[in-house]
Amino acid sequence: MNKLFKLLLTISITFALGICNIARAEVAVIINSGNSATISDDDIKRIFLGKMKSFPDGSKVLPVNLKNSSDVRKAFDKKALGKSASQIKAYWSKLVFSGKGNLPKEAADDSEAIRLVAENPAVIAYIDASNVTASVKVIRKF
Amino acid sequence: MKYFKILFVLFLSPLAVDSAEIRFSGFATIAGGITFDDDQSLEGYDDNFSFNPKSKFALQAVTDLGDGWGITAQLLARGSETWNIDAEWAFLSYDASDNWRLIIGRQRVPFYMYSDFLDVGYAYHWIEPPNGVYSLPFDLVDGVGSIYNSSLGSFDSTLHLTYGRNQDEVNLVGADREPDFWNLFSAAWTLNRDWLTLRASYAQTELTVPIDDFDPLVGGWRAAGFPQVADDILIVDDFGYFAGVGIIIDYEDYLVVAEYTEVHPGDSVFPVQDSYYLSFGKRFDTLLVHLTYGADEDISKSILGGVPSGVDPGLDFLIASTAGLFASQGEDSTFFTLGARWEVSDSVAFKAEFTKYDDALASDASLMQFALSTVF
Repeated sequence: MNKLFKLLLTISITFALGICNIARAEVAVIINSGNSATISDDDIKRIFLGKMKSFPDGSKVLPVNLKNSSDVRKAFDKKALGKSASQIKAYWSKLVFSGKGNLPKEAADDSEAIRLVAENPAVIAYIDASNVTASVKVIRKF
Repeated sequence: MKYFKILFVLFLSPLAVDSAEIRFSGFATIAGGITFDDDQSLEGYDDNFSFNPKSKFALQAVTDLGDGWGITAQLLARGSETWNIDAEWAFLSYDASDNWRLIIGRQRVPFYMYSDFLDVGYAYHWIEPPNGVYSLPFDLVDGVGSIYNSSLGSFDSTLHLTYGRNQDEVNLVGADREPDFWNLFSAAWTLNRDWLTLRASYAQTELTVPIDDFDPLVGGWRAAGFPQVADDILIVDDFGYFAGVGIIIDYEDYLVVAEYTEVHPGDSVFPVQDSYYLSFGKRFDTLLVHLTYGADEDISKSILGGVPSGVDPGLDFLIASTAGLFASQGEDSTFFTLGARWEVSDSVAFKAEFTKYDDALASDASLMQFALSTVF
């Protein structure tokens, strides 16, 4: 037991020292320029939690996440969804491993997210606010 | 296993590979524990540190077949079952609409609040949900399911129904048995709004569980002219039901979880079982500290009402043996667990738990456990 506790203590200290920086990036939620939907903060939350599957006007919505490792994703989870990255991961694991839901698609980076939004009026995504281009519409900044 | 084979063939067939993308994901828990008392076995652990009882590893493959159809297979290996691989979920799904999914095949019966993702340790704060409540000997059904989501005022409502049969081997009364649970129906209704989740569930089944160890006793009662007593011991064509309620409050850094369940296994040697737990947690950044208290109580019943005692030594022997058998199935215990979950990284959680059992019918015991849980 003694050895085990020493090991745990070592692990604890290692990780306590390495707590990662909370992302400070400003996040822009983007939709297709042709999409005129009015989307509330609560809608954004429900869309990215898989609870809302269409825009308020009834047309299908396809949320696109950034990769798990992205700081913008972490900032979005925290600011828009109000949860930590691991809480969001736990939330989705409940749905994915019980056949109740499928994970949103993931874009490799901001430029792929912009391309997906520009190509498809159903897509909603988020990117670093400093990378916004004229080809998409920003509906909310966090 | 038959589902596993069918799905395996489907996934590997060139047709499936050409036409649909297969998404793989998985989860794993590596857990270890030790009891602090000699000769005490608790939740599969004993007084030598072991890793097997709660460790598990699963791979899930999902593919869309088009037009709302999909196929899902989850293969799970448990340390407690010498890492044999079983199909835990194996089904075809059909999305009748955005809010309504039908599931055909092998699936989980939604008895408990955490049933759907019981093996996914990463999804909750304990290493495993409290054993006293999560105690039914089976939790899968081969049949059909329906999951319907709707809005009820500002609440999201989910109604989950299943119907089918289970004939999987289970370990009961000290040996592997071949039971039959048929006309197994379950309904679970969940209401969720932001930080509040409320849930109620009900299940019923017809059941037969052959336990040949009871044969001498049952034969004795029949020979003595009390066939009713024999029937009340045996689990043959019985009707059992289950009911449960639960609540989760996950408000900012605070977590409160409570669940109460009743198991009514029918007129047999198995007692009616009332169980509950209450769990509090508080998050400190990446650390969650929690305390859980629970109780597991069996309601003893008398099936010997019409039997005269002290008249015949043979009859008295039957009475004593039967009382002994029923007592051996009883349980009356409380426990508390003090634990912590710590997010080691974005997809790995480390957990440590200390549990103390206070048992009115056996000796008290305590258990220390550690686990690493991940999803990928």
